Amino acid sequence: MVRIVVPTVWTPQGRTDFEGSPGPLDEVVRDFVARHPEFGRRLLDADGAPLRYVNICIDDDLIPRHLRTAATVGPDAVVTILSPMAGG
Amino acid sequence: MGEMRRVPGGVFQQGTPEWVLDWLDDADQPLPRLWFADETPQFTAVVAPFRIDRFPVTVGEYARFVRDTGYRTEAERRGFGLVYTEHGWVERDGVTWYAPGGPGTGGTEFADHPVVHVSFTDAREFAAWCDKRLPTEAEWEFAARGPDFRIWPWGDEWDAGAANTAELHAGPLTSLAAWQQWWRVECARRGPVPRTSPVGAFSERGDSPFGCADMAGNVYEWTSTSSRLYADTVRCDPTVAMAMGRYRVIRGGSWMNFRYQVRCSERMHGDPGGWSSFAHGFRCAADL
Repeated sequence: MVRIVVPTVWTPQGRTDFEGSPGPLDEVVRDFVARHPEFGRRLLDADGAPLRYVNICIDDDLIPRHLRTAATVGPDAVVTILSPMAGG
Repeated sequence: MGEMRRVPGGVFQQGTPEWVLDWLDDADQPLPRLWFADETPQFTAVVAPFRIDRFPVTVGEYARFVRDTGYRTEAERRGFGLVYTEHGWVERDGVTWYAPGGPGTGGTEFADHPVVHVSFTDAREFAAWCDKRLPTEAEWEFAARGPDFRIWPWGDEWDAGAANTAELHAGPLTSLAAWQQWWRVECARRGPVPRTSPVGAFSERGDSPFGCADMAGNVYEWTSTSSRLYADTVRCDPTVAMAMGRYRVIRGGSWMNFRYQVRCSERMHGDPGGWSSFAHGFRCAADL
C-alpha cells in the first residue's frame, strides 16, 4: 500500500499519513484528491491538473518537475507532499 | 546600494527556547507544537562581525540592477508567478517583481517597497552585483534580536503597530478561517496584490537592537543557509523534515502572517529551485 504524507497543518487533527494507490504519479495525486477532496485546492489546479509548484518526493527522491509526468509510484512507496515553503 | 548596519560578532543561543513553545501551545493560535519543533533545540552559535542591510532590497533597487545587467528573474523567464487568491495559491501569468499582482499592478508607488517574486537565485544574483551576499541564518537571527533572546525585534511584548503583518491590517487573528475571511475581502477590494509597505515604515518602533528594520513581517527573507535540523533527535513535521538538505532557510515572516510567524527565531524553508511568490524578498549582508 502506498503511504501519502502531508503537512501536519493540512488537517485540523494534525493527521499526516494517508493511504493511496500505486501508479503514475499524477494519477496517484488525482486519486488521493478524489478520496480526500478537502486537499483538492492544495494539489490540483482549476482544470484538475496537479500543481507543479508543489514538490513531491517518492521515498527519499525529490521528483523534478519536468520528470513528474513520467514518474511512477510503486506499491510500497512513500509519497511526501512538500510545499515550496515548508514550515512556519 | 542600501544602507547597512555593522553587527559586532558574538556568541548566542540560536533557536527557540522551550518556554516559547509552551507559550505557543497556550496561545490562541491554530498550529501544533510539532510545527515549531524545527526551531529547537537552542544551540550555541558564533557569528563573526558583519554588515547587513538595514532594509529589505526594494523594487527601486532591484530595478537599477535589472537596468544595469539586463537580468531576467526566474518568474519572468517562466512567464508566471505565485499569488494567493481567495482560492489559495495560484500560478498567474505575467506576475513579476515589477507587476507583483499580475499585468497592470505595480508601478512607481512600489519603488520603496521590498521587491518580491525573487527566487533564491534571483536574490543571490542581485547580491553579487552589488558586491554583497545573502546573510546566513545565524547572521539573520543575530541581527534581528542581538545576543539576548527576544521574541520580536523590539522585545517580548507583541506590538501590532511595529510590523507589517496580517494583524496590522485585519486586527488580532487567531484562526486560519479568520485570516481567509480578511483576505477574501481584501482580494475583492484590490485583487491579489501584495500588502507590502515601504521599507522602514515601522522604524524605529519595530527595529532590531542593531537598527535593522522590517525583520518582523513585510516580506519573507531568503538566507544562504541550507535547511537542516538543529539536532538529529528533533521530531518535527514529516514534510518539514523532508525539506532538510533540499531547501534554504527563510526568516522573518511576512505581511501574510500572524504574530507567531514573525518571531526572530521562527524558521521557514523555501525551495531554491526557482520558486518565488508575492510575499518573498531578501536583504543582503557583507563581510567586514
